[in-house]
Amino acid sequence: MSCGGREKWQTSTLLVFDTLCEIKVFCSSSVLRSAQEEVEGIFSEIESLFSPEAEDYASPMVLDLYTKALQVYHDSDRCFDITVGPLSRLWGFLSKSYHIPSSGQIESTLKMIGMEKLKVKDGTLTLPPGMKLDWGAIAKGFAIDLASQVLIEMGISSGFLNAGGDLYCWGKNPDNQDWNIGIKHPRERGYFGILTISRLGAATTGDYQRYFIRDGIRYHHVFDPGSGYPARGRQSVTVCGPETVLCDALSTALFVSKTPEKIMEKYPEYGAIIVDSDGDISVIGKAYPFRPVE
Amino acid sequence: MDRRDFFKTMLATPLLTPLILASTKSQNGLELYLIAEEAQKFIPTLLEEAQKYSISESRKFCFLNPHPQEKPLIKILLDRGWTLIKRPVEANLTLSFSHLQGKALPSFTLVKDGRIWDIRTRKLLSLWQEMNRIYSHSSYLTIASFKSRLTDFSVGKYVTVYNHGLQAETLSLGKDLTKSFQARGGRIVVHIKDGKAWISESPCRHKICLYSPPVSLAGERIICAPNNFLLTIEGRRSIDTVIG
Repeated sequence: MSCGGREKWQTSTLLVFDTLCEIKVFCSSSVLRSAQEEVEGIFSEIESLFSPEAEDYASPMVLDLYTKALQVYHDSDRCFDITVGPLSRLWGFLSKSYHIPSSGQIESTLKMIGMEKLKVKDGTLTLPPGMKLDWGAIAKGFAIDLASQVLIEMGISSGFLNAGGDLYCWGKNPDNQDWNIGIKHPRERGYFGILTISRLGAATTGDYQRYFIRDGIRYHHVFDPGSGYPARGRQSVTVCGPETVLCDALSTALFVSKTPEKIMEKYPEYGAIIVDSDGDISVIGKAYPFRPVE
Repeated sequence: MDRRDFFKTMLATPLLTPLILASTKSQNGLELYLIAEEAQKFIPTLLEEAQKYSISESRKFCFLNPHPQEKPLIKILLDRGWTLIKRPVEANLTLSFSHLQGKALPSFTLVKDGRIWDIRTRKLLSLWQEMNRIYSHSSYLTIASFKSRLTDFSVGKYVTVYNHGLQAETLSLGKDLTKSFQARGGRIVVHIKDGKAWISESPCRHKICLYSPPVSLAGERIICAPNNFLLTIEGRRSIDTVIG
């Protein structure tokens, strides 16, 4: 696309997936307007296909994302699972009326969990009665990848899309360097470290993003599909790598898994920064430039 | 291997290119790169040299990721007066490890303030000769990073307000004021006082923006998602954006 007008750094925001998506791109004002429309269009489509109420299981996009989800499901020994929807509902994370269910309720809900129960038949994904999909740990990364690719194809040489926990950046920042991405501190103001990257995606899963506290215990939205309870042992996990969609899914998988190194062996192009429940930071997988800050 | 060959090897290795780029642009960074199988044999002497360029006297170290020679490295550094700690944020020195994608001749170099320093002078030259005599090739890279003097947090100078998806206004944090904005769902009130900005009134349902603490550091933000309204602090940029 030819650029009408002078190219400069431009920032705009879009409301998508109930979160604010920040767009920073180097282009002319007219290209920015087209870019906003493209990003909005892609996010609207993804939102309609992957919202908790969506039931179009024959869409090629749904089948494509299902395939990626299934890969991470197997690679993570079922720590990442898009069938945890009934658990989110049971704990009140969909209605925002949070409560701690009884162990009996959790046991019976677990019977509706597990991607091996899903089937693809005649080009349609089929779910047994009572099962519900929750694409929340993968769809945003998928949308970020699609939208970034479109902006790059439009000729935008540098920029980033940041939808809260998921980001893709390419080209150079305004200082003509790789992008410096702060990772939010899970317990304090500001950020605990900086990733310096380009042409890469990054995604964070944290126990501080959606949670409630009862009797001093934090109950958050990242469920262990094996136990039915919020996963323990981590405050946040950030994954960096070529595809944001995999960063997104892997950040959840590593958050839940007791053996994250084993998962990362299957994804040699990906690296992770883990903050455990004591606040200690560790880096596993591919070593992308990361430095902790004071 | 001369210095040029050393860097040719490093830059030809995709894994290392970003590391080099990162270190060369760190304004106050000090990093030691060592290609050697048994890092514990060389690290203490190299650290003594590198510390001459460091601004900190502190001797706390930690590992950022597992190192194949972690045990002997810990032992020798403890013997030399270093203290092993768990939290990287409190460490003066962080050690990280990467496998090279191919084998390279053993060598070392220092990257300081964006410049590559050849530290093979006098006794270090003999160390370099010794490691080349003992080992023919290595695929082990150890990176020792010293903490820089400047904190990555910097106090912001301005707050930029994004409303309806576009930049609405940039306000100085140096001047106390209260300002209303007509956002998507109604009136949002922004306060600036004592160099900090916060939202004191919003028509949104869950009021998360109202519960967000005041922001003052470059890169900090307050988001009111339902109203497509964003406050972001501008200052000496150490970061471009924040995720999480």
